[in-house]
Amino acid sequence: MIFRKEDIIVSTISRILVPFIQLYALYVIMHGHYSPGGGFQGGVILGASMVLLLLTRGYDEATGKVSENTVTLLTSAGVLIYAGIGLLCLFFLGNYLDYGKLAALLHVNPARARSLGILGIETGVGIAVMAVMYSIFLDISTGGVLPEDEEEQ
Amino acid sequence: MEVTLLVQAADDSFRLLENARVQAVGLLNTAVQLTSDTRSVEERKLHAIFAGAQDARSGLQNFLATFILLFGFWALLSGKFDAFHLTLGVICSFIIAYLTHDLLFANVRVGDIRVIVQRFITYMPWLVYQIAIANMHVAYLALSPKMPIDPQIIRFKSKLESDISWVTLANSITLTPGTITMDIEEGEFVVHALSKKVADDLNTGEMEDRIAHIFMEADHIYIQDVLDVARIFGEMRRAA
Repeated sequence: MIFRKEDIIVSTISRILVPFIQLYALYVIMHGHYSPGGGFQGGVILGASMVLLLLTRGYDEATGKVSENTVTLLTSAGVLIYAGIGLLCLFFLGNYLDYGKLAALLHVNPARARSLGILGIETGVGIAVMAVMYSIFLDISTGGVLPEDEEEQ
Repeated sequence: MEVTLLVQAADDSFRLLENARVQAVGLLNTAVQLTSDTRSVEERKLHAIFAGAQDARSGLQNFLATFILLFGFWALLSGKFDAFHLTLGVICSFIIAYLTHDLLFANVRVGDIRVIVQRFITYMPWLVYQIAIANMHVAYLALSPKMPIDPQIIRFKSKLESDISWVTLANSITLTPGTITMDIEEGEFVVHALSKKVADDLNTGEMEDRIAHIFMEADHIYIQDVLDVARIFGEMRRAA
């Protein structure tokens, strides 16, 4: 178990920084076309913001905001978005992940549909990466023991 | 005749002494009341800081202020102002502001955010000026051959009331060369200062006063003092 010393300066500054870190992460995800970034990088930054909350506030407060069950669901949700968009392209008589065929659904030209399709799967990747980073740190801080199992032991 | 005058003088002096006694008792009562009021107010404020108390009405205000700040940050980061990217910015700022609205502006009273932000922006040039002055003093200390430093640790209890103002004061002290905030234990600042001059500059409390002015703290007690002193003066004037 990680032992935490109460420090008001670190705690206050981290709570002020977290929204800005998360906005920067979403900026990195959304501007993957134009500047260095994309899904993985933005997801890591998002995960880092939640790890900052975990380190400075402690396990109980951080899991009060985003519990371990939610994190597990988010991992799967990210992969579902990615694979779901690929399957959606199949329904529109294209190949797997052939975003051009989504133009019929979105009412835009095929080039724009490809751009939006990539943005969609990058969002899925970002969510999955954030959830996995956060759950890795949660496992490190608790030693892999869930709170309900800890009471039994 | 003289005896009458003497008796009358004794009577007057006894009456004066009686008035003085009554006024002293009144002053003591006011002092006791002020002390207990101050202590209960202080206890409530400390409890509110550590329990993270927040007014329910301020939730919407915090959300809007966070949204505006985040969208401004997004516009600063992304140089593209076409409709698609601005809509993306609005959606992202909305989601993050909804999820973290109790993080950025905790412990802020309703209606205060605009004033606090303006005052904070006017505080920063003064801080830069203080950093420049302290820089020159520390450079003089470091460059002179016998290096007349006199390191000391100062402990003081601050009159500020919320965690954000404590952190602003701690950061301002650390940013100013010559002083470093080592710790804040139970409302007491532990500061390491490099020389006597820097320690004296800190002990005047001007930085603390300015930060209290930014966050509109430590001002209600002064009004109460003025009101009570006026009442005491009124009583003394009536008795005289």
